[in-house]
Amino acid sequence: MKNKILNIKNLSKSYGAFKVTDEITIDLHFDEIHALIGPNGAGKSTLIKQIVGSVKHDIGSIILDQEDITDLTDVERAKIGISRTFQVSSIIPQFSAIDNIVLSLLDKSSKTFQLFKSINNNKELYSNAKKILMEIELLEKSDISASDLSHGDRRKLEVGLALAMDPKVFLFDEPMAGLDESGTNMMINLFKKIKSNSPILLIEHDMDAVFALADRVSVINNGKIVATGTVDEIRRNELVRDVYLGYEI
Amino acid sequence: MIVEKIFNKWILFFLFLIPVLGFIFEEPYYITLTTKVVILGIAGIGLNLALGYCGLISFGHAAFFGLGGYVTGILSFHALSSEIMFSWPFVTSGSSDMLVIWPIVILSSAFLALIIGLLSLRTTGVYFIMITLAFAQMLYFFAISWPNYGGEDGLSIYMRNSLPMINTMDPLTFYFICLCWLLIVIFISAKLINSSFGMAFQAIKQNEERVKSVGIETFKVKLLVFVISGTITGLAGSLYTDLNRFISPSVLNWQMSGEIMVFVILGGIARLYGPLVGAAFFIVLEQTLGSYTENWQFWLGLILILEILYVRTGILSLFEKKLKYEK
Repeated sequence: MKNKILNIKNLSKSYGAFKVTDEITIDLHFDEIHALIGPNGAGKSTLIKQIVGSVKHDIGSIILDQEDITDLTDVERAKIGISRTFQVSSIIPQFSAIDNIVLSLLDKSSKTFQLFKSINNNKELYSNAKKILMEIELLEKSDISASDLSHGDRRKLEVGLALAMDPKVFLFDEPMAGLDESGTNMMINLFKKIKSNSPILLIEHDMDAVFALADRVSVINNGKIVATGTVDEIRRNELVRDVYLGYEI
Repeated sequence: MIVEKIFNKWILFFLFLIPVLGFIFEEPYYITLTTKVVILGIAGIGLNLALGYCGLISFGHAAFFGLGGYVTGILSFHALSSEIMFSWPFVTSGSSDMLVIWPIVILSSAFLALIIGLLSLRTTGVYFIMITLAFAQMLYFFAISWPNYGGEDGLSIYMRNSLPMINTMDPLTFYFICLCWLLIVIFISAKLINSSFGMAFQAIKQNEERVKSVGIETFKVKLLVFVISGTITGLAGSLYTDLNRFISPSVLNWQMSGEIMVFVILGGIARLYGPLVGAAFFIVLEQTLGSYTENWQFWLGLILILEILYVRTGILSLFEKKLKYEK
């Protein structure tokens, strides 16, 4: 228990008779990237939504850093250290890239309710935002409106928003979808770097990226975890090959 | 193309010029008309904070406008008639001093906005529109059935409320009082919009789920915006009562909420001076078209349709290409 920062037990969610997640038990250790893979519709994104609190679970518990967060709201969970990216890019389209990052820094710096001081004069916030943009290789596009960024750059910006929160855990939902090779490599290097500060629960369909990054992999199918293990264990697992990976990997 | 900032300065210049010309040429009608533009502009700027910048489509801002008006009217009515207003917890017979009335209006409007906001902000979209409308209509029917203060006929106050050492009965003087309030409201709104709080509420308008995911308590942010917005509109209601020396339930009606919304849409949603331009345009239209036909609202409707089809972001967008947070 001591080396687990996130511990999810028997988390279930049903819509009528359809079980989207079925007694899922999964954990995230300090310093690790735990990948969650599975076919489309398996329940991966619903699990993320349950962890962040935007979808209410039916039963189960969620412990973050030894604190029971099961009954907390989505905002409270974000405040105490759960940071996420969305499967479909979710940014503030009319803000520039740097303003998106600054928005993400507001709560941490207790600036949300600063009513009359011009945000543009807050050099500290913008300087911190620039550091994040540099990390995600978007510094030269800092003043471009987020809606004018390419798909790949929006994915990077999403990760930047999560980074800015300096959370206890990251929940990344397909962060590499639509990225070109250099973008994917940038993400892989970035994730390797940040996992020591904040471990990552990673949903990803790019198996090369998953195998390059993951310390452990869990496979979800029809709302159930069917296997958990190291990359090699998962690669060799017959059931996983049947339901998801196939036999060519 | 003239940039919006320069155009805004021209607006302020004309707001000084027109009443002064009205004074010089002894045409108080133009002073009163410009005063009305300024007051309704303040009401619109209030709504614009909630609607334009935060995406809260309130169809009940007449509640705040009317409350501000009635608080002013009732306090003044008791002061002028020396009737006791209430005797517990202390005895008072109202006040006709604007320096007393304004803080009471501000506090009561803020309190009403807090109550309405706490209940209505639990909903979104069309439900939010309906619940804010319902609150305003409740107050409207309450005012109609309140005979103590004129009921349906409204309440007249025979003297405009006073300010120490200033003759508020003089149209030009009262105009400049309203203009001072307009400048204060514009200053406060500009400060808010450019602050980190402003960044948060403008982000909520675009993507509330994302704002929540970065740990910002969107309910509290929206509530505070709604309270500030309602307070500004309430203050406008107070000035409106003093302008007309009369208040009636019609200012609480949904039609008033609609008119304030029209000022915002006409002038430009999420543009600081937009509601002021919208109010001016609306009143000029009312006066000019109204002199030709009783059905001037038909033509207003047509103009609104054309504007929404061809100049979606309001009259001010014709003078400006891009604001910081706008495409």
